[in-house]
Amino acid sequence: MQSTKLKRSRSINLSAMRKGFSAKPLALGIAAICLAACGKEPEQAAIYTDVDDCQNSNPEFAEQCRLAYEDAIAEAQRTGPKYNSARDCEYEFGPNQCQYVSNQSGSFFMPFMAGYMLSNLMSPRGYNYRPMFTSYSRYSPYRNRWIGADGYDFGDYRRKSVRVGKNTFKSQPTVNKTIKRGGFGSSVRAKSSWGSSSKKGGWGG
Amino acid sequence: MFRLDIAQRKNWQRKAQEFGFKFHTIHGEPYWDETAYYQFSLQQIEQDLEDPTEEIQQMCLHLVDIVANSEYWLEQFNIPQQYWSQIQESWQQRQPSLYSRLDFAYHGKGPAKLYENNADTPTSLYESGFWQWLWLEEQVNLGKLPKQADQFNSLQEKLVRRLRVIANYYQVNHMHLACCQDTDEDRGTVQYLQDCATEAGIDNAFTYIEDIGLSDCGHFSDIQNNKIQTLFKLYPWEFMQREEFGDAIEGAKVNWIEPIWKSILSNKALMPLLWKTFKGHPNLLPAYFEQDLALAKETKLVKKPLFSREGANISIIEQGKTIVQGEGPYGEEGYIYQSFYPLPQFRQNHTLIGSWLVGDQAAGISIREDTSAITQDSSRFLPHICL
Repeated sequence: MQSTKLKRSRSINLSAMRKGFSAKPLALGIAAICLAACGKEPEQAAIYTDVDDCQNSNPEFAEQCRLAYEDAIAEAQRTGPKYNSARDCEYEFGPNQCQYVSNQSGSFFMPFMAGYMLSNLMSPRGYNYRPMFTSYSRYSPYRNRWIGADGYDFGDYRRKSVRVGKNTFKSQPTVNKTIKRGGFGSSVRAKSSWGSSSKKGGWGG
Repeated sequence: MFRLDIAQRKNWQRKAQEFGFKFHTIHGEPYWDETAYYQFSLQQIEQDLEDPTEEIQQMCLHLVDIVANSEYWLEQFNIPQQYWSQIQESWQQRQPSLYSRLDFAYHGKGPAKLYENNADTPTSLYESGFWQWLWLEEQVNLGKLPKQADQFNSLQEKLVRRLRVIANYYQVNHMHLACCQDTDEDRGTVQYLQDCATEAGIDNAFTYIEDIGLSDCGHFSDIQNNKIQTLFKLYPWEFMQREEFGDAIEGAKVNWIEPIWKSILSNKALMPLLWKTFKGHPNLLPAYFEQDLALAKETKLVKKPLFSREGANISIIEQGKTIVQGEGPYGEEGYIYQSFYPLPQFRQNHTLIGSWLVGDQAAGISIREDTSAITQDSSRFLPHICL
């Protein structure tokens, strides 16, 4: 009787509620985090640490291994975690694991790509790829884990093979050109003279 | 309804860190307070809070239908004219809403009285839906609370389901979620909704409101130039409608969460209109528009700005004299007046109940305590049980 009248959420997946990055990145990649459980057509994907690793496993697809690696590197720059300072980045990813990146969206510190995920290597429709990162920092919950650009944890970094949903590889539509930023948020600035007495300074209610 | 002391869990601060709950203590003052909890009976929960919450939601939707189709009321609600047709369209299509929080004064008996409807950007969602749920789970496991102790809190379960419904409605499997910079609380609320979206199998990305860009084709973009198709914004419609990018809202063709018709419900003008339409309803307090103030027979009134948040600019007026003056940046858009009705007091604490709606379903409660009679953002959050 008790269970049918329960007034609270039946169960909550606690491990999914634990938080990743201990230092907050400025920006995160698109979260493409569907695992086999929720994706309609899960597929097998492999994780390689570099081009050689991929080519050794797939000698007949050496060219695809190389191209996918380059694609993943570009995607890593676009969607990987970005930090204002080397210190924040190294706190999360470990000493000497970060690089300075400067492009049209600004200048940041970003972790090096530690590997790339590949699937459908032999498909005529083309392969799917995704940059992967890992952490060497003892302060990070991502130490020795494979993680996606959005912080999704794909498991132990010795793992070579994962089953993922198709969405994992879907890239988001981008706009051609952003002509202006900052057109929202001015009311907050206008009202923030009062914000100093407000403890939390949030704009929700 | 009782307030009972209980031992705090020994390791809860560390646990909070582990789960990313960063705003449990604010400037050294406790916000999450588990030195005590509130206990309700099932009857109190179901008859006095759950049922009225769903009934009031239906009353509110009835008013949205009236206001959306009336130029007179849209003007009374101080909604800029350029958004009227967008509001009408979004309401005609019944674009799905995600959530709201109704704030009640409830003494444990008699009808709970509605203070206001936070229909657009309610916060304290994480601590309600997840953190107090975990508290109960652990206190029961520790043997500090009886096994049969329950909680009126199906928020997380319902949010996950509702986000799925919304994604299906718009035929998308990706959404952006946004809040303003420099606020741990709002960021935490949005992160929680990201977690719920993930649980629902929806890809999601975060952006700061201030970082939103406008593209040459009129779409909104995030900092990485991804097009924003679906956006949950923890940022009030009434602000967006008065800012530079307001003009671009119509052309950007975003699937908004909350939909723009909710700017009618998050407006305090709702309170006098509720009273006008459902006069004498047991869960409503008499409320008046400024121009109808002559109708008020009450000697003590609360004066609220149309757009205020977190107790800002709320004053208490007795026999025409202001006896309590709340400070804040709101008010230029006009005020409404509501009959004064005190919060119950439990050991010097004034206790306010937030009752959650996900879609049109009641989904749980959260409890805030304040030493002041007007609940400010300095108030503490306490867990509750149902026994």
